[in-house]
Amino acid sequence: MGFVDYVQAIIDGLLFGTTYSLIGIGFTLVFGVMQKINMSYAAGSLAGAYCGLVGPQLMGLPPWSVFPLSIAASGVIGYLIYLTCFRFIPLASPLATLMSTVGMLLLLDEIIVHSTAGMPQNYPAIYDGDPIEIGDFMLRADLVGVFLVCVVAMAVLLALLYRTRLGMATRAVAQQPVAAQLCGMRLQAVNGLTFVIAGLLGGVAGAMIGASVGMLSPLIAGPITVKGLIVTVIGGLGSIPGAIVAGLMVGAAENLFQALRNVTERDIYVMLLLFVFLVVRPGGLFSGRGHD
Amino acid sequence: MLEVRGLSKHFGGVRAVDGIDFSIRPGEVFGLIGPNGSGKSTTVNLVCGLYQPTAGEILFEGKDIAPVPTHRRLSLGLARTFQNIRLFANLTVWENLWMAENAPSHRAETRFLKRWIGGRSDARERITKALEFSGLAHRADDLAGSLAFGEQRRLELARALAAKPRLLLLDEPAAGMNAEEIAQLDERIRALQQQGYTILLIEHHMELVMAVTDRVCVLNFGRKIAEGTPAEVQADPAVREAYLGTAQ
Repeated sequence: MGFVDYVQAIIDGLLFGTTYSLIGIGFTLVFGVMQKINMSYAAGSLAGAYCGLVGPQLMGLPPWSVFPLSIAASGVIGYLIYLTCFRFIPLASPLATLMSTVGMLLLLDEIIVHSTAGMPQNYPAIYDGDPIEIGDFMLRADLVGVFLVCVVAMAVLLALLYRTRLGMATRAVAQQPVAAQLCGMRLQAVNGLTFVIAGLLGGVAGAMIGASVGMLSPLIAGPITVKGLIVTVIGGLGSIPGAIVAGLMVGAAENLFQALRNVTERDIYVMLLLFVFLVVRPGGLFSGRGHD
Repeated sequence: MLEVRGLSKHFGGVRAVDGIDFSIRPGEVFGLIGPNGSGKSTTVNLVCGLYQPTAGEILFEGKDIAPVPTHRRLSLGLARTFQNIRLFANLTVWENLWMAENAPSHRAETRFLKRWIGGRSDARERITKALEFSGLAHRADDLAGSLAFGEQRRLELARALAAKPRLLLLDEPAAGMNAEEIAQLDERIRALQQQGYTILLIEHHMELVMAVTDRVCVLNFGRKIAEGTPAEVQADPAVREAYLGTAQ
């Protein structure tokens, strides 16, 4: 393995890292309005991607239909997670929603395992083209597709958050729940909508992970949850730009570690990266959005 | 305009508000005063829906508003400012007003997309006017959290006005202000009254209360001890006793 291979690994990692960015944003969005971690978020996203497979496998729809179906299903699952794990759970208790969402994570995992008999399911690629060659380097066409889809999802999210009243409402509720109510915003509605938006993003991430790996397996849920949390911590809880940068970083680092050592060791180094951040910069790359 | 009957709020064994009655007429500036802990802020929180009353009724324009959820009270025509400023600090001055103006009416469901996803253009003119009234036009694009204290207070007032309320609750608007700022506040309250707003003013600063209010209600230990014009209230022996040592 030479220098070119390492750079190539980093490039592939950056392209795939956008999926981690999306998962990190999802964690951070929910934390922003609820001040709680939704542990079942990545599992919900993956479950959404699985639901997308119902289209081509059971309903005879064309393969591309998986993507919109996955995204929509994940949005619905996001709302269901809000209803079951947050809406009626006392938020004052720091452990209550942690327990309810970990329970949901296990439940979703079990549902996936049972409905697929634990067998990995093939997932279509977003784009089936020849690799693009730039000098010594090669861009995998399907990964470029994944990258573009994720970037578009992020752009739409940022426009929603910073340009529309809906997005402002989620930020206003995060900062000043009392004043936000008196300005005519319904807390439960804004909270529920945030879960749907985070769910939709997770659906994009889940579908793109499936598309770049080529299959979905119940074994993915655990590692994606952990990576998403690492991204959130490195980026700074509550910071969306932080989650984007951290996602790319984790994607690149993971691939580089894999090229330097091997696939079985790479996660150890990703964990070490988290450790370094917790020690050196515990607040994350960007300090979070202000909360009251 | 606003009628409060037998209003009580108990926190455990503490009777923060204990059976008070008062009524505010359209177009007047009504003062609610009393020593610390007399139940003024609790009363405001009850009126704007942050607390549910233990007993009693709150009638706004003749209708009991107890079943109206907090977030709907703005569209009823009730807006307030806070004693401890509660702005959306990480939104700009302009965006703070945008969040409050054009609050949902009962037709809002049909206009959901326009209200929530629509752009800023249709609100631009109204908000620009509100900013000019508050003397904040030059800070429109700054983050609310970066404003000076006096500017933040003015922005809170502007945000409450952005929703075009009929009753405005001002919770200690003079707190922390210097004499010059209080004089400006005095003028602003009079200007608002002339524009037709009805105002409930909770205030510690007696000079301001006596200068701008039409009628005053005095609370002590959660009960009403006097009500009348500023002059009547000042002459009332019960009020003098409650304020003894703290009166101005």
